[in-house]
Amino acid sequence: MHHVVVERWSRASSPLHARDPLAKLAALLAFLLALSTTPARSQIAFLGYAALIGAAMAGSRLPLGGLVRRAALVLPFSATFAFITWLSGEPERALALAEKSFLSGLAALLLIATTPLTPLLAALESLRMPRLLILVVQFLYRYLFVISEQAQHMRLAAQSRGSSRRHGFTAAAGALSVLFARSWERSDGIYRAMLSRGFTGRFSTREHLHLHLADAAFLTAVVAACLAIRLVA
Amino acid sequence: MHIPDGFLSPPVWATLDAVSLTAVGLIARRAQRDTEESIVPLLGVMGAFVFAAQMINFPVGLGTSGHLVGGALLAMVLGPAAATVVMTAILVIQAFVFQDGGVMSLGANIFNMALAGVFAGYLPYRYWAASPRARKAAIFAGGTLSVLVSACFALAQLAISGVPLRRWLPVSLVLFLVSALLEGAITVAAVSAIERLNAAWVRRPITTASRPVGIIAIAAILLVTAGVLVATAAPDGIEKLAAQIGIAAHSPTWLHAPLADYEWQGLQSSWLRKASAGFTGMALLYGACLITGRFLSRQRSS
Repeated sequence: MHHVVVERWSRASSPLHARDPLAKLAALLAFLLALSTTPARSQIAFLGYAALIGAAMAGSRLPLGGLVRRAALVLPFSATFAFITWLSGEPERALALAEKSFLSGLAALLLIATTPLTPLLAALESLRMPRLLILVVQFLYRYLFVISEQAQHMRLAAQSRGSSRRHGFTAAAGALSVLFARSWERSDGIYRAMLSRGFTGRFSTREHLHLHLADAAFLTAVVAACLAIRLVA
Repeated sequence: MHIPDGFLSPPVWATLDAVSLTAVGLIARRAQRDTEESIVPLLGVMGAFVFAAQMINFPVGLGTSGHLVGGALLAMVLGPAAATVVMTAILVIQAFVFQDGGVMSLGANIFNMALAGVFAGYLPYRYWAASPRARKAAIFAGGTLSVLVSACFALAQLAISGVPLRRWLPVSLVLFLVSALLEGAITVAAVSAIERLNAAWVRRPITTASRPVGIIAIAAILLVTAGVLVATAAPDGIEKLAAQIGIAAHSPTWLHAPLADYEWQGLQSSWLRKASAGFTGMALLYGACLITGRFLSRQRSS
C-alpha cells in the first residue's frame, strides 16, 4: 500500500525532517500563497518555484523519483481541466494550471513526507484548531489502515466463495453494512481500552514544539525566496 | 470532486477558507461541548470506514461500478454536526496524506462536501424520513442531493476562478447527475442493510418536523446551488434570458447599479471584479434565504 511509504519517509532523518512542524507548515503556506498569486504568463517564476522545491527535496534526502511519482497523482485531474483550457484557446493558462497544481502537490507532499502526522497535528492544535477535529483526524488516520485491511480481507473472502460482479447491489450493500457494524463495534472496544489506559482527552507527543534558531532561519529563507520569485514575476 | 491547488483564484480560496474555518470551528466546538468524550473514537473510526467503504464496488451494469461517497450516510448515522466534523477530517487526511485536493483549496473542498454536501444530504432525511412511505425516497434524495450540491458548488468555484467551463458545463452536469443518482441508490441500499443489522445505528428523524419548512429549505438550497452555478458559469445565459423576457429593458436603474453587468465598477482587476460580484450575489441569495427562513419560523411559533 503506497501510503505506508509516506509514513516510512516521514520517520527518516534529514535537515528538513529536523525542522519544527510549525515552521514547515508556515513555509508551505508561504510557498502556496506565492505560487497561487503568480500570473500565468511568468514562466520564469515557475522555474524559480521548481528550483526552490528541488532544493527542499534535496534537503529531505528522500528518493526524488518516488516523490515526483506520488505528486504526479494530481495530474489526471489537472490535465483534464488544462486540456479544456487549452481547447478554449488559452494555452498559457493551461500550462500554468498544470504547473501550479503539480508544484503545490509536491510541496504539500514534502511536508507530510518529512513530518509524522502526530507532531503536525500538535502544531495545528497550537494554532487553536478545535481539539475535537484534531482528535478525529488522529483516530481516522490510526484506524484507516486497520479498517481498509478489513475491507480487503472481506473482499478476498467474498471472491474465494465465488462472488462476482453480478451478485450486484444488494450484496455490496450487505458487505458495506457488515464493515459498518465491525467498525462501530471496534470503536466501542477502542474507547474502553483508552479508558482503562487512562486516556485524559488528548494525545501526548514526545517532542515539544519549540522554534529553534535553525527553524527561524529556514522559515525566513523560504519566505524570502518566495517573495523574491513573486516580485520578479 | 476534490479541487487541487492552482485552480481557484486567490479571492475564491481565501474567502472559502475563511468561511469553512469559521463554520467548522463553531460546529466542532459546539459538538465538543454537547457530546460525550466516548464519541471521539466513533467519529474517527466512522471516517476510516467511509475511506475503506470506497473499496466496495457497487455494480451499475455495462461493466462499470460506483462507490459510496458517504456525506449523506454519515449525516443520517451521526447527525449533521458530527458528520461535518468527520467529513472535514477525511478531507484533511486526503489533502495532506494522499494529495487528493489542495491545501489552499481545502476550505473550498470542506465547504462543498463537509458543509453544503452534508447539509443537503441531511435535509430530506430530517423532514421526510419519519413517514414510512416516504422514508426510502427521502434517503435517496439525501444521497443524490449531497453529491449534486457539492458538484455544482465545485463547478461554480472553478468557473468563477476563470476555468473556461462554459461549453463543457452540460456534459459535466450530466456526469455529476449520474453519479449523484448512484450515490442516492447506494445510500438507500446501505442504510437499509445497516438498519437490518441494528436499527439503533441509524438516527431517528424528527417526527414533529413540518413538511412545508422542509420543502422550502430544500427548494432554497437547490435554488442557491443552481443560481450560483448559472451565475458563475454562464452569465451570458442570464443576460439572454433577461433580454428575452424584457427585464433588461424595463428594469429601473437601481436594480442595475450594485451588480451592473455582474461586475463592480470600482474594482480594477478583472478577476477581482468577477469574483467579488459573484460572492456578493451568493451572499445576497444566502441572506434572502436566511430572512425567509426566520420569517417563516417566527410565523409558525407565533
